[in-house]
Amino acid sequence: MLNLFHIYQRQKKYILFLLAACVLGAAFTPYSTIFAGIGLGAAFGLYNFWILQRRMLKFDRAFDQGKKRVSLGTGLRFASGIAAVAIALSLPEYFHLISTVIGLMIPYVLLVIEQLVFAIRKQNEDAKER
Amino acid sequence: MTGSVGLLAAAIAIGLGALGAGIGNGLIVSKTVEGIARQPEARGALQTVMFIGVALVEALPIIAAVIAFIALNQ
Repeated sequence: MLNLFHIYQRQKKYILFLLAACVLGAAFTPYSTIFAGIGLGAAFGLYNFWILQRRMLKFDRAFDQGKKRVSLGTGLRFASGIAAVAIALSLPEYFHLISTVIGLMIPYVLLVIEQLVFAIRKQNEDAKER
Repeated sequence: MTGSVGLLAAAIAIGLGALGAGIGNGLIVSKTVEGIARQPEARGALQTVMFIGVALVEALPIIAAVIAFIALNQ
């Protein structure tokens, strides 16, 4: 199974590709607000993921040291989601609101797709070995 | 439209979202800690599953918080 760090690295790679595509889309297509919104949402989604990964490592360390109270940073992630939408709401001429919300969820969708692909590939490899 | 109905909508959205996230995260973390205590060698795999689980559980409450914010600002 992929470990936490690898999952984050892959997510980062995919999102950076997506951000590059969004910059191109915003610059060269008539749907610039939609692409800008998706890019903004995806950037904040990646930030959410980074917080989650960092907090998981902290959780691991706290578990080692036997600490009882550990925060997983849920409030911070909620706040960063709201921050993305606040930017989109305050600058409607640059960012499309619904696209921002969709962009915010892209890392989660990628995570599900990646795990599904990984599971199917592993199942096929197991079937070949038998 | 930030009347009382908008406020109520925002409150219900964020309240129920946070309730679900709290219960879900609590279950995930408690089972992971239990699993690590029982089988310390499976720590890496359990941690990865916990990472994915927490990420997916929190997707909907984030959307709920965002919807609450939009409902408050329209």
